[in-house]
Amino acid sequence: MASGSKVTLKSSDDEFFDVTEAVALECGAIKNMIEDIGISSPILLPHVSRKIRSKVIQYCKYHVESQKPGVSEDEIKSRDQEFVKVDQAMLFELILAANYVNNQKLLDLTCQIVADMIKGKTLEEIHNTFNIKNDFTPEEEEEIRHENQWAFE
Amino acid sequence: MEAVEGVEKLGKRNMMEKCYIGMLGADQVIGILQDLPVKSVVAFGMTCRKFRELTESDAVWACICRREWGRWAVDAIAGHKVAWNWKQLYRQMHAIDSVFCRQLAQKGEATPSPRASHSLNVVSGALVLFGGGCEGGRHLDDTWIASVTDDLADGVIWKQVNSGIPSGRFGQSCTVVGDLLVLFGGINDNGIRQNDTWTGQVIYDEDSNGRISWKLLEVAAAPAPRGAHAGCFAGDNRIVVYGGIGPNGLRLNDTWMLDLTEGQKPCWHEIETLLSPPARSGHTLTWIGGNRIILFGGRGIHYEVLNDVWMFDMEGSYPKWVEVCAHEPNPPNGIPEPRSGHSSTPMFGGRVVIYGGEDTHRCRKDDVWIFDPTAGNFVDTAASCTSSPDIRVPENTPKTSVAHKMWKKLNQKGTLPKERSFHAACAIDCGCSILISGGMVDGEIQQDVAIGLRFDAELYLLELVP
Repeated sequence: MASGSKVTLKSSDDEFFDVTEAVALECGAIKNMIEDIGISSPILLPHVSRKIRSKVIQYCKYHVESQKPGVSEDEIKSRDQEFVKVDQAMLFELILAANYVNNQKLLDLTCQIVADMIKGKTLEEIHNTFNIKNDFTPEEEEEIRHENQWAFE
Repeated sequence: MEAVEGVEKLGKRNMMEKCYIGMLGADQVIGILQDLPVKSVVAFGMTCRKFRELTESDAVWACICRREWGRWAVDAIAGHKVAWNWKQLYRQMHAIDSVFCRQLAQKGEATPSPRASHSLNVVSGALVLFGGGCEGGRHLDDTWIASVTDDLADGVIWKQVNSGIPSGRFGQSCTVVGDLLVLFGGINDNGIRQNDTWTGQVIYDEDSNGRISWKLLEVAAAPAPRGAHAGCFAGDNRIVVYGGIGPNGLRLNDTWMLDLTEGQKPCWHEIETLLSPPARSGHTLTWIGGNRIILFGGRGIHYEVLNDVWMFDMEGSYPKWVEVCAHEPNPPNGIPEPRSGHSSTPMFGGRVVIYGGEDTHRCRKDDVWIFDPTAGNFVDTAASCTSSPDIRVPENTPKTSVAHKMWKKLNQKGTLPKERSFHAACAIDCGCSILISGGMVDGEIQQDVAIGLRFDAELYLLELVP
């Protein structure tokens, strides 16, 4: 198959979208499907909305482009950083999508952002950053505080 | 990082919105936790029931243990069966506060005579003892070997395997690089300091009897001759040597590296740094994994004994020395007294174990201390063989308060070795245990006056992991 071949992706809200084969192959799950059924039929992605699919394709596109000579590591890194400047709703949907289509680079990138958001924060700060609801009883809280004291000494 | 702030800003605008992180599946959360520092993992697990359960998982803590201790140490520790889940195991190994001591029987047709400033190493499954000084200031030139593959509780069986080569000496450094012993320097009983470099390899015959094949290493240039310096493995087929007493009796403060990378001619080169620890002898150097070495104590140019700690950071193109703890002549409880002729051995988790030594009046000690550079937030995450932690020197924190968090004196149980200095020590089982051999011990005490010094020949096992 020529590298200029088109692959059609169909997202959960019934939209069809064409990408080059090179871009599609960035995602392991899509690559597997292409190997199974070829590129003549659309690849169905029922768990990915149009919005997320287009973000993922944007990522795959510039990663394919950056494989050409003359693109530095720093440029790729800075594009990655720009790419993940999104709200939490989008960030976590991207993690789920990257996991679903099996794009390890995107998964690593997005998970690293979340890890950096947790790193170095106090318990209260983590609650506030992620809106995590504290569902412990007061007794449980006391127990937890006591059994984890060692990590904060 | 900009992107993180960006996401957080947008998050704060929508304070009433849902908890998006809750959308993630267990696998994704575990994947994120595996790379976080321990404090953050624990804090995250204190937020809600779902995350509490996920952070308790073996998948997370097994990964943390491997990351912080290295694979070999994890296997060594897991063999001791001290806890029933990985989080508990981590916690126990993190909080070690005791050491169990026992004297080991030494058997064989003959056993090594009493001595000090000799070397003791484990290489290729064999315990190797070489040289040292003894009564009358005489040097020794014998090499002894024993197997350490069996349970040491039954003792060791020594066999003398060489004498005469290398030439007799004491105060040398002897370091293991792969399956080679690398010996450098030392002083002989004519007071001549050496700067020859030797490599030793254990060779087993058909009956599994070991012997050492010592070879003089040909090098283009070498550091100035010295004794009572310190040397240690520096990762990647390298050795670092620092300080010692040079040919004219003056204490040195130069840093040298020996590169033994295969396929290249072995060579020594001096590492020039803007700042280096004050000159000294009888100090110790310990590799803590990655590109970092810890230096402790010793005796300086004004004959004062020291208890300062320095880190040699080989990360990046310009290695540098960083003072971690300043010298404290009258330390409070919780910080070891200044000393020289102590031993240091590495312990899993990027820690260093210090034992014994002598103070400024040559009174010998028998205390055991753990130094943890990651406590007090000096180093971001524990240095293991695979990670590259960041060093942050706390800017305005008085060095004493940081030192207090990094040092821990261990309780000693079992049969304690008597106080000693200039003994030999080596770590076995990734630092789960330490072997202590010989050294100088106080002589007879008559009417509160210690008479002379005595050389010791005893062998002790200090176990950190039960």
